[in-house]
Amino acid sequence: MTRLVASEALKVVTTRLLLWLGLLLAGLELLVIALHVSQDSLESLGEARGQRDIVSIAAVSALMALIVGVVLAAGEFSHRTIAPTFLVAPARGRVVTAKVVVGAVVGAALALGAAVFAWALAALLLSLRSVPLHLGSGETLRVFGGTILAAAVAGAIGVGFGALTRRQTAAIVFTFVWLLVVEPLLAIAGVQRYAPGHAIASVVEGGTSSSELLSFGAGLAVSLAYVLAFAAAGALAVKAVDVS
Amino acid sequence: MPQSPPVEVRELTKRYGDTVAVEALSFSVPAGRITGFLGPNGAGKSTTLRMILGLVHPSSGEALVDGARYVSLSDPARAVGAVLETDSFHPGRSGRNHLRVLATAAGVPAARVDEVLAEVELTGAARRHVSKYSLGMRQRLSVAAALLGSPRLLVLDEPANGLDPEGIRWLRDFLRSFAAGGGTVLISSHVLAEVAQIADEVVIIHHGKLVAHEPLEALTARAAGGTFVRSPAADRLLERLGEAGIEAASTGAGVLSVTAPPERVGEVAAAGGIVLHELRGEGASLEEVFLQLTGEQR
Repeated sequence: MTRLVASEALKVVTTRLLLWLGLLLAGLELLVIALHVSQDSLESLGEARGQRDIVSIAAVSALMALIVGVVLAAGEFSHRTIAPTFLVAPARGRVVTAKVVVGAVVGAALALGAAVFAWALAALLLSLRSVPLHLGSGETLRVFGGTILAAAVAGAIGVGFGALTRRQTAAIVFTFVWLLVVEPLLAIAGVQRYAPGHAIASVVEGGTSSSELLSFGAGLAVSLAYVLAFAAAGALAVKAVDVS
Repeated sequence: MPQSPPVEVRELTKRYGDTVAVEALSFSVPAGRITGFLGPNGAGKSTTLRMILGLVHPSSGEALVDGARYVSLSDPARAVGAVLETDSFHPGRSGRNHLRVLATAAGVPAARVDEVLAEVELTGAARRHVSKYSLGMRQRLSVAAALLGSPRLLVLDEPANGLDPEGIRWLRDFLRSFAAGGGTVLISSHVLAEVAQIADEVVIIHHGKLVAHEPLEALTARAAGGTFVRSPAADRLLERLGEAGIEAASTGAGVLSVTAPPERVGEVAAAGGIVLHELRGEGASLEEVFLQLTGEQR
């Protein structure tokens, strides 16, 4: 199993995927944080709560983690590298498990990077506006912790979903449509709490009382249930498929 | 207990819906030899090889490698090396990293990656992205991947497809030296000539069924079989040939078609004091025999 995990990790770092997603993430954070710091009132910027909101853009890394997970699983079918993979590791369930582990670890790492970058950027820009820093507040740290956990969960779910669909582009498009269209519609109907996107979001928001989301604990439990369900479905689908 | 053959296929069948790709196919590949796996395009060669390699699930029957199903091999990379298509690479990954990924999963030491790169003469291009590789280079990278675990058996699916003559020669020399070192090779092709120069025996399939499994010499002998004879005493010759147990038929006035080599026909004629006006071998080319074998199965 260790070998398979190491091999999957090597797959992630030997293409430019992480580089591009990392740059995209950094660009997005720069844009959002710069806009906040330049536009928000000094009063709101000065509060711990306001600063927490600024750096919470790092939570976008959970979406990137989801994409990494999808690519890690479905990309092998798109590029047909799944054949050599199964030739050296014919136990397909174990390959999917290794991918789930790597999806979670890479997701967490991506989120950690995003959090550190957002924190440093906010500290720099706020100092430039001579705003006293409250970035070490418990609220901020809790958001960062939640983001890392959420991205790990998202990466793992992405792998399961990618294994289930085995079509990289279709899976990514579907993911965006689901998160941007379907879940908002579910929210209108008031039944969004248990949907994957909202469950993951409740892990990030961890504790802030929003009526739209589950509590941190319930959100984490539901998210982990999604991880297991998608991983199991993905493994079954991959086991059954003919690689030709 | 006799050792299991490197590859053994028993009553192997694969159906895709109503289409039968492979039907009750049985054959085995002997150790230390090069076996050509032949058949026209769409005969079921790739499907069969992929079932042997555990990539495609058989509908019924089984395919065994060293006596076990591929999935239950404890160390597949050390038992079998497979060269499938040329396009099973991530274009944005370097050739060396492609091999590192596989070596890591197979538990092969990292130093082996550079060894196999040197063996297929790709050291210079090792750090370039695969998208920059020519078809021949990709094929060599596939061979390098197959060699990572120093396997005893190589399975190659149409490896000559798209290769230039130089690449084909390189591959042929490579497989010869692999077999000379005691390795077993199973190589598929839809072109007999490609395989005829290196194979010790051939397995021919058509429409998913076995057509022939014989040593290459036997196939060559089939090709060399017939003789055309013209003689003013054709009737008498026909009689003498019959007495000698040789099949022959009159195909025109004074003309016989004999299923024996010209030497044999000449001997019989001489023994009987029969005058011949023409005597020549009617050897079909290997390709004709191949077409005949795969054609009559329609």
